[in-house]
Amino acid sequence: MAKYADAYVLPEVPREIWGLGGRTRALLLFCRRKPLGAIGGAIVAVMLLMALGAPWIARYDFDASIPGARMKAPSPQFWMGTDNLSRDVWSRVVYGARVSVTVGFVTIALATLVASVVGVSSAYLGGVYDMAVQRVVDAWMSFPYLMIILSLLAVLGPGVLNLILSLSILVAAQSARVIRSATLSVMQNPYIESARALGGGHLRIIVRYVLPNVTATILILATIGLGGVILAESSLSFLGLGVPPPQPSWGAMLAGSGRSYMQRAPWMAFWPGAAISLAVFGFNMLGDALRDVLDPRLRGTSGRLAG
Amino acid sequence: MDQPASSLTRRDMLKLGGAALAAGTTGAGLLAAQPAAAQTPKRGGTFRLRLAVSPVHFDPQQTVAFSTMVPLSFSHSRLVKVKAGSSVKPGTTPLEPDLAESWTQPNDTTYVFKLRRGARWHPKPPVNGREVTAEDVKYTYERFLTLPGNPNRGLLEQVDKIEAVDKYTVKFTLKEPFAWFLDALASTSTWIIAKEAVEQYGDLKRPEACIGTGPWMLERYEPNVRFTWVRNPNYFLPGLPHADGVDIALETDPSTALAVWLAGRYDFAPEYGMVVRRSDLDAVKPRKPGLQMQDYIVGFGGITWIKLEQEPFKDVRVRRALAIATNWKEVLETNAWSQGHGAPNPAIPAAFRDWSIPIDQLPAEGRRLYEHDPREAKRLLAEAGYPSGFKTTLETTAGYGPDWMDAVQVTLAGWKKAGIEADLKLKEYGAFVSTTLFGKFDKMGGGLFGLWADPESYLYRYFMPGQPLNASGVNDPKLTEMIRLQRRTFSAAKRREIVYDIQRYVAQHVYGLYGPSVSAVAAWEPYVKNFGPNIGHDYGGRLMVAWLDR
Amino acid sequence: MLRRYLLKRLVVAIPSLLIASLIVFTLPRLLPGDAVQLMLEEKAYAKDLDELRHKLGLDRPIYVQYFAWLGQVVRGDLGESLWTRRTVAEELAARLPVTLLLGGMAAAFAVIIGIPIGVLSAVRADTLRDYVARSAAILGLSVPGFWLATLVIILPALWWGWTPHLGFTEFSKNPTAHVLQFILPSLILGIASGASIMRLTRAMLLEVLRQDYVRTAWAKGLRERAVVLKHSLKNAVIPVVTVFGIQVAQIFSATVIIESIFQLPGMGRFLFDAILQRDYPVIQGINLLVVSIIVLLNLLVDLTYAVLDPRIRYS
Repeated sequence: MAKYADAYVLPEVPREIWGLGGRTRALLLFCRRKPLGAIGGAIVAVMLLMALGAPWIARYDFDASIPGARMKAPSPQFWMGTDNLSRDVWSRVVYGARVSVTVGFVTIALATLVASVVGVSSAYLGGVYDMAVQRVVDAWMSFPYLMIILSLLAVLGPGVLNLILSLSILVAAQSARVIRSATLSVMQNPYIESARALGGGHLRIIVRYVLPNVTATILILATIGLGGVILAESSLSFLGLGVPPPQPSWGAMLAGSGRSYMQRAPWMAFWPGAAISLAVFGFNMLGDALRDVLDPRLRGTSGRLAG
Repeated sequence: MDQPASSLTRRDMLKLGGAALAAGTTGAGLLAAQPAAAQTPKRGGTFRLRLAVSPVHFDPQQTVAFSTMVPLSFSHSRLVKVKAGSSVKPGTTPLEPDLAESWTQPNDTTYVFKLRRGARWHPKPPVNGREVTAEDVKYTYERFLTLPGNPNRGLLEQVDKIEAVDKYTVKFTLKEPFAWFLDALASTSTWIIAKEAVEQYGDLKRPEACIGTGPWMLERYEPNVRFTWVRNPNYFLPGLPHADGVDIALETDPSTALAVWLAGRYDFAPEYGMVVRRSDLDAVKPRKPGLQMQDYIVGFGGITWIKLEQEPFKDVRVRRALAIATNWKEVLETNAWSQGHGAPNPAIPAAFRDWSIPIDQLPAEGRRLYEHDPREAKRLLAEAGYPSGFKTTLETTAGYGPDWMDAVQVTLAGWKKAGIEADLKLKEYGAFVSTTLFGKFDKMGGGLFGLWADPESYLYRYFMPGQPLNASGVNDPKLTEMIRLQRRTFSAAKRREIVYDIQRYVAQHVYGLYGPSVSAVAAWEPYVKNFGPNIGHDYGGRLMVAWLDR
Repeated sequence: MLRRYLLKRLVVAIPSLLIASLIVFTLPRLLPGDAVQLMLEEKAYAKDLDELRHKLGLDRPIYVQYFAWLGQVVRGDLGESLWTRRTVAEELAARLPVTLLLGGMAAAFAVIIGIPIGVLSAVRADTLRDYVARSAAILGLSVPGFWLATLVIILPALWWGWTPHLGFTEFSKNPTAHVLQFILPSLILGIASGASIMRLTRAMLLEVLRQDYVRTAWAKGLRERAVVLKHSLKNAVIPVVTVFGIQVAQIFSATVIIESIFQLPGMGRFLFDAILQRDYPVIQGINLLVVSIIVLLNLLVDLTYAVLDPRIRYS
């Protein structure tokens, strides 16, 4: 029982130090108190680094066939071995990070934008509009996602852009609901009422009062959503609908020739599979830790930062 | 000699996971043909095998899908069939009598078949085991030719009239001489069907209507799960089939199928044609000592169509450059089935050993096409006015599976070395089938091609002007005339000469870019005797003469 | 009170269903390439295409087709497959139980795995046990389902020449084997949802444990088990129930992959094939069925929610 009481108390930190290296301080504290989240964050950081620095980190071009190097096991020259087209797996994994990051971030950005607009407006305006929007979101969410994705991709054709579009529509529907409830609880706050009474314009109220409080929810959704998008892409690759070549994507590497050659050249599947798992793990852990830290409900009056 | 004329559709290729690029060098390597006569066949047992695709329905006159034709090969017969057994070399299709005991050809356009006496239908309602008559044959082929929507109709287009001369004699009269007629009849699309079944069920789509004269009867069909076949007690060849039954599992996933085979629950390798991928062979061999294997060509190839009336493809030098820039050897190396074994294809895939022209018999310029040489390609392009190469688009689909995508990547990489930048335009499979296949594409389109089991289709359907599949828009009067001529030439040797000439001509003019064919490995358990793998959907025929020795 | 709430929710569900039916109907028709062309594929001759199209009723204007279909549905007739000519109802009847069992067991596993681990993680928050439990659960979620399934099947085959029993056994043939064959696939399918549920349970329980009334319970000297299980869990579980509804929807979407690999003849794979083949009646039938089930499920979830939390009923 005592250990719960402990959780309420934040270690005392002198104010001056907060002022100096506030952000670094917060980061270190975060790492100490949320080690899993810190690990997740580190993984995400590595992934972002790989994505940004791909041309320098990769040793070969992602679709360069190195003569005489077909399906070679990992070695000092080829850190992760080579595949059946004599391409360096390490380079493809690195460039694959770029693809995953791009697809992931753009999808989530788009989805978050749409979901926020829909969710916030729905909660704020309420009434018939809210009900109507909720019906449509309900209907949309009750759908087998495969049907929607397959139909969209069939109409638009395979391609990275179309994949992003299809995935973001799905993610948006799910996020919209969560954002709506978060907005609803923010709306309970008395100062929203008073702002309205004071005659503040709707947009101003939303931007100044509502959004900042909903941001935490959005951030958490986005982080975890990124993990979901990476997983979705790999599942879609299994069904033949993922990122089309020549761009290497972890999903395609795993579900395609990786799976075909599983017992002959296991490294072709192992490394992209590990990359996917680590990335998803990282995003999820980071998102969880962020939720613990940022969720205003947990930061309630009964004590400061909860565990 | 003459070949059956059935076909795989592109949709079937989707399910096969693509890229069984067929036709390699003739059964060299792991040839293990057994002397069939040496042993006495044992009766009994059940064959267990796997099919990757569940049939949509059972009416052979409303589909071309192999997923329907393969099951029907167990329960149905044709007038003539392809010989089966371990003595038959894969890629050859010698004909022998099936329901027809003998036949004559009084003149160029008339064929008279004498049916076996005492051949009976399966003892199933509504046919109830009655005797097969000439009327059945007449009914079958009249429905074949008149049923709206029969995609196989083109096979027997030349037939003008069918007459039941007497109870056991059928006469076919053709509109014009067609040297491939017997092969067409031996295809796995021309099964003899029963009138009562059609009348009772409206069509033959339901499994209850699957009633034939073949060695086994359909006992049970569980959709997407399995088939169970039992011996036909009335089968017209005494003593056959040897096995009591056949169990076919319908497994879509190739990894799962491999695992099940490794666990000993199939008697044959799981992929189409009783084949195992070479890349898996190393894992399989230690588990299966005594496994019988045979290299052969499983039957199809990749093709790139080129819009002949568009720039820059009008110039034959550009087309030649494209061919020379294609690294077909690399494609074979990267393919999981072939791992380097296979052969390049002329117009007729090398799977057809008797009709495909060996590359070294092409004229010098034709031979040159098959030697990968980016510098030569660049030189040709410069000659044609494109010293720095050119840009183009290639439309294809990912629906054939990751192996096909790999092959495309390799091909594009080869072209790039010669300065040809191809932008890949991927289409969803369904969309691809309705547009690109029929020629609705710009510049270049690529896919797995033909999948016909008769060599003639590769010529007629792709090079005759006006044919829906003539996607490149070939209209060459000399070629047209040659194709017409070989149809009228009955002597097999002379016909072969013309067919060779056609292939030489096509190579000269580069009317299409042909990807190589894969030589895969067929494998079957040591206790399966007298089994000979071959191209085509006739699983039933091949299993009929085999037996289980345990 | 409860009845009024139920009625209100039912009424609200109907427009959702209608909108869904519209989407269900139009979406497949947007796909380029229609069923007839696919059926005949490269062997098609122009006049046959039109004949077949007319035979299948595909040449009528879209709205006529939509209302005709709607009318049929209301009468309980889901139409005939364009390919097999068997009724959609027949096809579904064979496959629905498989998917339901698979999805149901997966959902059960998700709850059985998720809630206890979530409770453990919350109660022992930020200790080693918490970290290990959470890491294991999230790792289960991070590995793509098809990959896990592949490994589970092929590795034993390569190493020991053994696979789990594949090759579907019907209920009528062998009830025990029938149910047993679902265990492995539904476990794999349920892991991802289990992780989500675990995460949410943990977060909610943590929040509840910090509430004043819980502090009171501690102060009163109640034992840990009583505090956690009796007083806190019930309240914490409410939002989890909501999420559960969403999770079930996601489980049903993911069945197609597991069904392919484990050879279970369910609706997921069937739907996928129907989409590729443009078999409109089947696509519509399955989607309508699935959507209805999920809408129903959400209704049940809301009802449970209302039962658990009296405040909702009166809102």
